[in-house]
Amino acid sequence: MAIIEARNLCKTYIVDKRQNNVLKNVSFQVEKGEMVAIMGPSGSGKSTLLYSVSGMDRATSGEVMFDGKDITKLNENQLAELRLNKMGFIFQQMFMMKNLSILDNVLLPAIESKKDLSPRKEKVVKAEALMRKLGIIEVADNDINEVSGGQLQRACIARSMMNNPDILFADEPTGALNRQSSIEVMDELTKLNKDGTTIMMVTHDSKVAARCSRVLYIIDGQIAGEFNANKDIVDQKEKERALKNWLMEMGW
Amino acid sequence: MFLRILKKDLARKKTMNIIIVIFVILASMFVASGLNNVITVIKGTDYFFDQAGIGDYVAVRKDDGVSTETFEDIIPNIKEIKSYRIEPTLYTTKETLYKEDNSELVLDNTIMVQPLSETKLVFFDKDNNPVKTVEEGHAYVSRKMFDENDFKVGDKFVMEVGDVKRTFIVDGGIKDALFGSDMISNIRILIHKTDYDAYKNSTHKNALKGGEFCYIDTDDVNAVDRQLANTPGMLLARERGTFKTAYIMNMIVAFITLILSVCLIIVAFVVLKFTITLTITEEYREIGVMKAIGIKNGKIRSLYLTKYLFIAIIGSLIGFGLSFPFGALLLNSVSKAMVLGNGLGILPNVIGVAVVILTTLGFAWLSTGKVKKATPVDAIRNGQTGERFKKKSKLKLSKGRTDSTVFMACNDVLSSPKKYITVASVFALCAAFVLVMTNTVTTMKGDGLIDSFSARSEIYFSDQEKQMSMMHEGGDEELKEYLTKVETDLGNLGMPCHAFVDAQYIFPVTSKGQEYNISCQQGKNITTDKYVYLEGSYPRNANEVAITPIISEKIDAHIGDTITINYGTGPMDCTVTAYFQSMNLVGEVIRIHEDAPTSLKDCSSWMAFQLNFTDNPGQKEIEARKDRIKEYLGNGRDVQLAWEFQVDCLSVVPTMELVQKLLLGITLVVVVLVVVLMERSFISNEKSEIAILKAIGFKDRRIIFYHMLRFAIVTIVATIVAAAISIPLTHLTIAPIFQGMGMAKMSFNIDPLQIFLLYPAIILGVSLLTAFVTSLVTKSIKSSDTASIE
Repeated sequence: MAIIEARNLCKTYIVDKRQNNVLKNVSFQVEKGEMVAIMGPSGSGKSTLLYSVSGMDRATSGEVMFDGKDITKLNENQLAELRLNKMGFIFQQMFMMKNLSILDNVLLPAIESKKDLSPRKEKVVKAEALMRKLGIIEVADNDINEVSGGQLQRACIARSMMNNPDILFADEPTGALNRQSSIEVMDELTKLNKDGTTIMMVTHDSKVAARCSRVLYIIDGQIAGEFNANKDIVDQKEKERALKNWLMEMGW
Repeated sequence: MFLRILKKDLARKKTMNIIIVIFVILASMFVASGLNNVITVIKGTDYFFDQAGIGDYVAVRKDDGVSTETFEDIIPNIKEIKSYRIEPTLYTTKETLYKEDNSELVLDNTIMVQPLSETKLVFFDKDNNPVKTVEEGHAYVSRKMFDENDFKVGDKFVMEVGDVKRTFIVDGGIKDALFGSDMISNIRILIHKTDYDAYKNSTHKNALKGGEFCYIDTDDVNAVDRQLANTPGMLLARERGTFKTAYIMNMIVAFITLILSVCLIIVAFVVLKFTITLTITEEYREIGVMKAIGIKNGKIRSLYLTKYLFIAIIGSLIGFGLSFPFGALLLNSVSKAMVLGNGLGILPNVIGVAVVILTTLGFAWLSTGKVKKATPVDAIRNGQTGERFKKKSKLKLSKGRTDSTVFMACNDVLSSPKKYITVASVFALCAAFVLVMTNTVTTMKGDGLIDSFSARSEIYFSDQEKQMSMMHEGGDEELKEYLTKVETDLGNLGMPCHAFVDAQYIFPVTSKGQEYNISCQQGKNITTDKYVYLEGSYPRNANEVAITPIISEKIDAHIGDTITINYGTGPMDCTVTAYFQSMNLVGEVIRIHEDAPTSLKDCSSWMAFQLNFTDNPGQKEIEARKDRIKEYLGNGRDVQLAWEFQVDCLSVVPTMELVQKLLLGITLVVVVLVVVLMERSFISNEKSEIAILKAIGFKDRRIIFYHMLRFAIVTIVATIVAAAISIPLTHLTIAPIFQGMGMAKMSFNIDPLQIFLLYPAIILGVSLLTAFVTSLVTKSIKSSDTASIE
């Protein structure tokens, strides 16, 4: 069952009176529990696609069905509500509130949300449990300047998971991390996906994409190809090799 | 290349640059006009007096119909007088003057009619030009008479005395150095000699009484004062300093505007420093890039200095232009009464503007100091985060129960206290001055100072015609009869009351071997125990007196000392039994016992008639009776309640209210500018945080609320601080001014509703409204901007 479905999505920017068609009639579906990567060359429209389907940005035309509703018809407040309660976001830059501790940053969406009316104490317990799971509980009371990039990105993942989102959108989640941190972050995302969270991410990294069940390859604002991972292949290296071969075919 | 970077910078950071330009404009406007006004105010009265030729000592007398001695008979014999100028006058009352359509004129106090060609004092028109001639049938009138009757040049009024009735065309209002202050404000009418002679030569029984003014130049005013002590019919004999003191109220306004200018200068500089530092901090990334590609520190700093020099010059030029009307606006209420000037022209303004340009460059130089120390990497890192990281979070969201936006706002304020304290201090400073003025105006508009004019009573009314008619031998009996008649009539009308009045005389007083001319105030039909005293016991018989602390200092007499007063019946030794405070004649008064052997023929002036009801009516009833008494007295007499009488005596109240409003207006402008500036810089600094808040699902209104809350916290703290310090600050700044006017012990009337609620609410409201409007910009930041924010 599709959790999200893009129909004929177009996005056009006007720069210096010139029309730039970033997305051209893009259509695809993401099933519940899937982990989908969007790949493509720089400027192909990957992030624009992610932001358009997540409702963070408005498409010029087309529809985005989320849970059976067209989110392109929602107003800003309804979209904010949706992001708060049903979606999670992770970005390449680990943006956090500078004046809050790591724990408070993680806790913030749960406090803001009216979905879960449980006492604050329970929310704190949940935040700590998530941080423990992501291996960052020891930095809970630290300020954001006192932790590494990997820890910070895991804190961002914890924050995005606080309201039990139906889907997690990630834009280059490992883009600003070193190799070790990237592996740790991807391990956590893979675990979350195994636990049932749908994930849709933009990445340049084939190793990261190889962890996904499906890869959409986008060129010049259009989906040029789709790669479905072979469920029978268990070895990660094998998966990466298979994906790389496909990417080569796509002109990567 | 250099210029291109500069040009791009100016265009790209348009909002911040415009805000800096606005603050440079404000700073240069305040500094330039403030500096000019400081010099003008300090030189104020002396400049005016010198221009008018008032001299060192002024004596005014009235023909008493008994003595034929004039100033010409006395002055030449006083060897300490270097030179003198005498001018004639006639004294009239408001009843002789009316509009052409027979309607009444708004007038009070004694009115003097003089031939302009024979006056020795220089009078000035509204444009500060000396008034030199007046045609027959035309008149120049005191500024007060001109303003209060809404006269326009060409309007007409009639003066009818006995058999002489003439209509005068008003040529304008005059600035009168001697009587133009808000505290004295006697009316002078300057007419042609022919018109003057018509009144002077009238032989009608109601013809006007004459008199003289004498302006004396001397180096020994005390010697002159002593030797003029026995001049018959003396109404006023004071040294220049006393008349200067009479301008204290006008000068208060000038000094308040001066303090205001200084405050605004501080505010402008604080904000300027803050803005420049903030904008340069924001530019660290670019600085890092410039350093990385090998541009030297000096060159980088000079780039910013050139930018701020450009901004400073543009802002200062505009500020320089605006400083003239702004300075004039600040001194407007004062310059209405006085000829102000400092003889320095635009020099203070030019210096002020130069100071602003140099200060702006100084701030820019200091703010770019870090460029030297920073490595390219440091600079780039700072550019990205806006600051170097250090422990920030002060509160714990996980520990409290507050709403997330409330929490974030409180935490932000506590995490960057320096930044918010700067804003709060600016708000508190401005608000405190508004509140100080509010306390002053509330005090002046109440009836708390009424005891310093006379005994407190419920109703006050003036009848100059009646009072003037009693200023002769036997007048005391007439007064007694009149007061009894008023009491009987009002009693018959169901308003039983006690009527009394204070009369003032100038008597020669000797203390410690020195002789002085001092005003003595005597209650008629009232006993001395009904007045308020600061210390000692009230005078119980004719040879006991009470003196003010100002007189005590002047004549070196204290409680228990004996002074000699000549009531016209020979010297009488009187014991000083008490001190009291008085704002009459700026505190230079002696209170004499009701039985002291005075005669109304020596009376120099009067207070209003006063009524105290003997059946203890409530306030509403008193107000109702006021109208009935007005009806009883007829002729549209001024009947006033205690507070109205006090406001009338302190005629500067409307001006003070105007200054209060001006202060409030400027405070609100400062609040608006600071909030816009701060909020814009917050938004610019926190773009990534706003975007992430949106990305995780914060609605626009919640983010706007969060941003507004920070200003709410700052403004609430600032107004609480301002309200708390306003009371001691009022005592500290305003009490000494009242002290100069005769109020030795000043207690202020504080209206908690205004201090703690009304004005804080206005300031808070404006702050929040501005924060709201400015923070609407956050709506343009999208959650997807997280991808493009560096």
